[in-house]
Amino acid sequence: MATSISRSSRRGVASTLIRRCFAAEAALAARTEPPKPKLTVSPSPDRVKWDYRGQRQIIPLGQWLPKVAVDAYVAPNVVLAGQVTVWDGSSVWNGAVLRGDLNKITLGFCSNVQERCVVHAAWSSPTGLPFIFEFTGLPAETLIDRYVTVGAYSLLRSCTIEPECIIGQHSILMEGSLVETRSILEAGSVVPPGRRIPSGELWGGNPARFIRTLTNEETLEIPKLAVAINHLSGDYFSEFLPYSTVYLEVEKFKKSLGITV
Amino acid sequence: MGTLGRAIYTVGKWIRGSGQALDRVGSLLQGSHRFEEHLSRHRTLMNVFDKSPLVDKDVFVAPSASVLGDVQIGKGSSIWYGCVLRGDVNNISVGSGTNIQDNSLVHVAKTNLGGKVSPTTIGDNVTVGHSAVIHGCTVEDDAFVGMGATLLDGVVVETHAMVAAGSIVKENTRIPSREVWGGNPAKFMRKLTDEEIAYISKSAENYINLAHIHAAENSKSFDEIEVERALRKKYARKDEDYDSMLGIVRETPAELILPDNVLPEKTTTRVPTTHY
Repeated sequence: MATSISRSSRRGVASTLIRRCFAAEAALAARTEPPKPKLTVSPSPDRVKWDYRGQRQIIPLGQWLPKVAVDAYVAPNVVLAGQVTVWDGSSVWNGAVLRGDLNKITLGFCSNVQERCVVHAAWSSPTGLPFIFEFTGLPAETLIDRYVTVGAYSLLRSCTIEPECIIGQHSILMEGSLVETRSILEAGSVVPPGRRIPSGELWGGNPARFIRTLTNEETLEIPKLAVAINHLSGDYFSEFLPYSTVYLEVEKFKKSLGITV
Repeated sequence: MGTLGRAIYTVGKWIRGSGQALDRVGSLLQGSHRFEEHLSRHRTLMNVFDKSPLVDKDVFVAPSASVLGDVQIGKGSSIWYGCVLRGDVNNISVGSGTNIQDNSLVHVAKTNLGGKVSPTTIGDNVTVGHSAVIHGCTVEDDAFVGMGATLLDGVVVETHAMVAAGSIVKENTRIPSREVWGGNPAKFMRKLTDEEIAYISKSAENYINLAHIHAAENSKSFDEIEVERALRKKYARKDEDYDSMLGIVRETPAELILPDNVLPEKTTTRVPTTHY
């Protein structure tokens, strides 16, 4: 409804009709022409270029509905699709995409997935490595256990992260990798498929290599970081009302356009 | 009963009206710090002056993606959540059956140090992994760009080549056919086996099917979403095991069934626990 208001007010109804007519004709012509060797693109005149609703945060696929705990903070421009469970106290920050369409994604208690991460789960690993999952017994789902901090811009794909870890920023964890409890991955590290990062160690680099073991103090700091981010997410969480008040803006629009409210 | 119904209706209306009034009071209290929500102004397909994107009708463009400027996308392709395809200074052409996965960036260069500028061309059935950055490159048919890869100006990825995850491919590198290049700067790692090449084509095909589901879901109207939400709530309470003990066979409502071709053939014996 708002789309039609804006469309009509911006260009005038007549020109949109003319443009639609031409687009429909062009689409028809493209379909009846013999296929050219180059790229033939037949656009649909019905394609929505701008949707006033924006991107939905929670995208159910079939029976799977992403589940977000009541006190978990999920930023408004995050996309949760398919089988995603965000447990209590955890947070998913801006721009992250958690796509559980092929397999499950779980974000454990008090964990956080920071900005612009992409968490995906493959159905199975690529050919040549299907036996990794049988060997290690790791399922192809992505499991992020409790008190894990996943740094910004990371890419997680079918990995298992055990409790109390820190994944550095811009790191890439490939299929079947396992990050054991109380380990830290440096920023920018790339963990090859099927790699296991042992417990209590600091790894980094591309591909990820052993750097040093963590001292006891450092291992104690790991859950503290997760809890600190949990507190921070509380501030963000309290910024949002349970229901949107966009209807107020819509009514302002209608008033300014002279449409009766 | 008519009067009672009307009375309850009126009481409900009063409560809603007072709720709205309370909202106004709360906004007054918050003063200048209050947040006024706006309709989303994010434009999925956006013209840059006279350059408009030309997107085939079979393409799935996620609503949070941005396809701007002179971009052409062929049939069956998919542009996933959060991608940015910025064809403002030059032309971007994406073939058919290609998938550009979440949070990727495809940009073109107008000028660069070498002086030679080419538009970005991505061929057919290419898989561009999550968060890849493709800047002024040519990616030929059936190639695979791993997730997090950064392809700088003038890179050519030939047919059936693979760029490993997290690699940074320097300017004007040519990645020959059937090889895996990776690292920073990207170097030859190994040759691709035939199985892996078959896997690349299969993954592109799987993504085409997956894109259809996401496209259908994202283009649902508000009413459809609400209906499905009610259906899901109702269906969630019915556990299959319990029903089978009683000898009841319940049908999943049609809207909640995913098409069979989404999930690829299971080759391993281990079955992940999924509802499907």
